[in-house]
Amino acid sequence: MNRNRTLLTILAVTAALALAACGSDSAPKSGAPASAGADGSWQATLQQARGQTVRWWMYGGDDKINSYVDDDVAAALAKFGVTLKRVPVTDTADAVKRVVAERRAGKTSGGGVDVIWINGENFASGKKAGLWLKSWSQTLPNAKAYVDDRDPSISTDFQVPVAGQESPWQRAAFVYAYDRAKVSNPPTSLDALLAYAKAHPGRFTYPAPPDFTGSAFVRQVVAAKGEDAGFAYLRALKPYMYRKGESFPKSQAELDTMFGDGQVDFSMAYDSSFVNVGVRRGTFPKTARPLLIGQGALSNTSYVTIPANAAHVAGAKVLANVLLDPGLQALKADPNVLGNPTVLDRSKLGARAPEFDRATGSNPYLLKDFGVPVAEFSADRVEPLEKRWTRDILR
Amino acid sequence: MPDTRLRRSAGVLLAAFFALPLAVLVVRAFADSWRAPALVPQHFGLRGIREAFSGIALDAFANSLVVAVIVTAIAVAVGWPAARVLGERRLRRPGAVFVVLAMPLLVPSYATGNGLTEWLLRLNLADSITGLVLAHLVLVLPYVIVVLLSAFGPRVTVLEDMARSLGLTPLQRWRWVTLPAVAPTLAAATFLGFLVSWSEYGSSLAVGGGRELLPVILLPFVRSDPQIASALALLFLAPAIAALGLAARAARSPL
Amino acid sequence: MDTRHPALAAPTTPGPAAAVVGRDAARARVRRQRRRDRVALAPALAIVVTVFGGALLGALHASVTPLSATASAGATLDSWRALFADPAFLDSIAFTVKLAVVTTLAATGCALAVALMLRSRGTALRALASLPVPVPHLLVAVTAVLWLAPGGLADRILGGLPLELVRDRYGIGIVLVYVYKETPFLVLLLLAAMGRGLAEREEAAAVLGASPAQRLRWVVWPTVRGPLVIGAIVVCAFVLGAFEVPLTVGPNYPLTLAEYASQATQNDVLTGESLAAAALLFTAVIAIALAVIAVRFAKDPQGA
Repeated sequence: MNRNRTLLTILAVTAALALAACGSDSAPKSGAPASAGADGSWQATLQQARGQTVRWWMYGGDDKINSYVDDDVAAALAKFGVTLKRVPVTDTADAVKRVVAERRAGKTSGGGVDVIWINGENFASGKKAGLWLKSWSQTLPNAKAYVDDRDPSISTDFQVPVAGQESPWQRAAFVYAYDRAKVSNPPTSLDALLAYAKAHPGRFTYPAPPDFTGSAFVRQVVAAKGEDAGFAYLRALKPYMYRKGESFPKSQAELDTMFGDGQVDFSMAYDSSFVNVGVRRGTFPKTARPLLIGQGALSNTSYVTIPANAAHVAGAKVLANVLLDPGLQALKADPNVLGNPTVLDRSKLGARAPEFDRATGSNPYLLKDFGVPVAEFSADRVEPLEKRWTRDILR
Repeated sequence: MPDTRLRRSAGVLLAAFFALPLAVLVVRAFADSWRAPALVPQHFGLRGIREAFSGIALDAFANSLVVAVIVTAIAVAVGWPAARVLGERRLRRPGAVFVVLAMPLLVPSYATGNGLTEWLLRLNLADSITGLVLAHLVLVLPYVIVVLLSAFGPRVTVLEDMARSLGLTPLQRWRWVTLPAVAPTLAAATFLGFLVSWSEYGSSLAVGGGRELLPVILLPFVRSDPQIASALALLFLAPAIAALGLAARAARSPL
Repeated sequence: MDTRHPALAAPTTPGPAAAVVGRDAARARVRRQRRRDRVALAPALAIVVTVFGGALLGALHASVTPLSATASAGATLDSWRALFADPAFLDSIAFTVKLAVVTTLAATGCALAVALMLRSRGTALRALASLPVPVPHLLVAVTAVLWLAPGGLADRILGGLPLELVRDRYGIGIVLVYVYKETPFLVLLLLAAMGRGLAEREEAAAVLGASPAQRLRWVVWPTVRGPLVIGAIVVCAFVLGAFEVPLTVGPNYPLTLAEYASQATQNDVLTGESLAAAALLFTAVIAIALAVIAVRFAKDPQGA
C-alpha cells in the first residue's frame, strides 16, 4: 500500500512536470534568427561559418550520392573551414520529425538539424508551420550568379512559392524503364500503354499511392487527361495489370525488383538516372533502357532547406552555396558520376559552361531529352488524389 | 519413447529450417546481380563488402557496440533486483507493477518515438550519450526484467535458504547457488537486451546527434540496394550471432 | 496468504507470550523485506516512469494538438474523431488484432513443439535453430520476399509456387514471417526455463511411474508456462504495433494499424503526426488490455 502510494506519487510528479513543461509549447517569437543573415554580408557569413560542423540530414540509401557528398562536397566545403557531417535518413520525414519535436519542446536555437534535402509536401507543411529559415536562398552568391529564379520550376516547389526558404540542388524527371531484350517497341504514350497492357495482361503495375512513385504516376495520368478522365483510365487499366490489379507493390524498390526479375515489363521512378542506378546495383539487366511516356516528363526540383532553429546557420548557407558551384553541379550531371540534370541556368554559366559539355557523354541508361516538362501539382492536391485513388481504384 | 534416430533427424531438420534461409544473405552480399530465373548469382563482386568495411560502417559498428554494452550492463544491474521482486511474487499487486514496467514493450515504439525525442529535448539530454543511453535503456530494461523474472521463484529461494542454513555467506550464496540457478535465463535476458539496443533505429536517429550507428547506416539500404544491405547485415550479425552462441551455451552447461 | 513466504514460517517456540513475540518479530521481518523490495524496484520504476512516461505524455499531447503556425490552436479531438470516422482504420483494427492473435497462438504452439524436440540437443543445434532471433524483422521480411515472392528462389527452384504468399489478401505471408521470426525467440525463453534440473525432475517422475503425457502436464508445463505467457505477451504486443513486415509482405488493403499510422505521416508530416500518434496510442491500449488479461490468466507461482 505504501509502495503503491509511492508509485502513484512518482506518476503524479512526472505528469505534473510534463504538463508544466508542455505549457511552453508555443511558436517562436519571430521567424528571423538573431544572428547570421541580419547583416546580409556574405563575408560575415563565411567568417561565422569557419570552424562549424554542418549536420546535413539526407536520404542515405544510394551509395553513389553518399560518396559524392562525403568526398566531393565535403572537400569543397572544407576549403571554407566548414566540416560536413552527413546524417543518413530513410525518409525525409524523419528529419522533419526531429525539427517538429524541437519546436514542440520550445527549442528555438541550437537545433540538431542544420540542413535537410527536401521538397514537395514535406517542405510545404514545414513552411506552413514556420519551421524553415526565411529569405536566405536568394542571397547566396552562386544563386545570384547562376540560378534563374524566374524559372517557375525553381521558384516554386509543387506550386508552393519557395520564398527564399530553400535552395535548389537537383532536378528530377519521372521516367520509365523497359527491357530492350523483351520489349522491342515500347509504348510512348499513356494510350499506347493501355493498349500494351490489353495485349499483354499482367505485365504492368505501379506502386500503390501514397507511395511517392505511385502517387507521381497517378499525377502524370491526371495531368495528361484531367482528373475524372484520368481515373477512368486507371480503372480501365486495372484488370490488365499484374495480378489483375488486386495487389500492388508498396514501394518503388519492390517494383524495381519485380521488373528485374521479369515479373513485369516496366518500372518507373521519379529519378531520371534510376535505370543507370538500377543497372549499377545489379537490380536491372544490362539491356534495360529508360523510356519517356507522354509528351514530356513530370518534373520537379529538390532543394536544401535550413530549419529556423538550426545551430549552424552560417555553415549551412555556405553548404547550400557550395552545392550550386558549377564544378560540383557539372560533376553531378556527368553521366559517369550521377547523371542528374543541373539546376543551374546554362545561359548564365559563361566561362564555366565548358565544364558541362563533358556531361553530355553518352550513357544508354540516361535519357537526353525529357520533352516538354510537365509541372508538378499544387502540394495540397496531392493528398486528395491519393485518397481518391484508394477509394476508386484500390477498393 | 519415439525412435531416437527419428528424433535426432527431426532436430537437425528444424535447425536447418530456421538457419538455412538466412544463409542466402551471405550469398546476396557477394552478388553483384542475382535476378530471376538464376539459381546462382549472375555476377559476383565486392561492391557490397567494400561498403560494409568503409570507415563510416566500421565507426558505426564501434559506436553501436559501445552503446549496446553500456545499456545492457545498466539494464541487467537495475533489472536484476526488480526481476527478483516480481519473480518471487512478494508483491500485493504484481500485475500492476508488471504492466508498468512492461509498458515500453506494449506501446509501439513508433508511437512514442517523437514524444521521447521531445521529452529528451526538454530535459536537455538529446544528442548526448546520456540521452542516447536512456533512450535505449527504456526499451532494453523492460525486456531484461520481463525475461529474467521467470528465473526467480520458490525453487531458487529454497536453494538459497538451504545454502544460508549451511553457513554460506551472501556472496558465496550468490556465486555458487543463485547465479548458476538463473544462468540460462540470465544469459537469454542479457542476449535479448543487447539485441534490442544493437538493432534500435528510431531513437538512434532522432537523438543520436548524428553519431554513426549501425542500424541508422543499414536501414536506408535495405530495400533500395540488397547487395549493400546484405553486406552490412553480415557486419551487423557477426557480434549478434557470437552473443547467441554464448547464450545457447550458457543454457546448457554449468558455469 | 503470506504463509508461502519463508520469512513468515512460524517459529516453533512454545508458550503464548513467546508466540506473540514471535509474531511481532515476523511482522518486523516482513516490513524490512517490503522496504528492501521497494528499494529493489525503485531504480527500474524510476527510469521507466520518468523517461517513458514523459514520452507517452508527449505522444498523447501530439495526438490532441496538431502542430501549426498559429501558437495555441488548443487541444482538439479532431484527430481521434477523424480516425474513428475512417472505415479503413476500423478495418485495420480488425485485421491487426486477428493477425496478432493468430500469430501468437501459432508461434507459441510451434515454440513448445520445437523446444521439446530440442531440449536434449547440443549447443550447436540450438544456436542454429535460434538464428532468426538476432536478425532484424525487416531483414527477415526481405529475405522472405527473396524466397517466397513470385520470381523468388522458391519459385526458381520449384518452378512455381501453388500459393500466393506475398501480398496475399489474408496476410498469410505476414503470419509466416512472424512465426518464423518469433518461434526461435520463444524457444530461447523456453529452453532457458527448462535449462536447469528439468531433465532430472522428469527422470524422477518417470521412475515414479509417470507416463510421457503425465510428465508433460505435471513436470514440464509448470516450468515453461510462465516464460511462455510472458513471451506470448511480448510477441502479441509486437505484432500489434510493428509495420516493417506487413509493409514488405502484407496486402494493400486492409493495412495493419502501424502501417496505417505510417501512411498518415507520408503526406503532411505535421497533421499526419497527430493522426499517427492517435492510431498508435489506440494500438497500445489494445496491447495493454491483452497483457492485463494474460497476466490475470496466469496468476500462479513461478511466472507472471
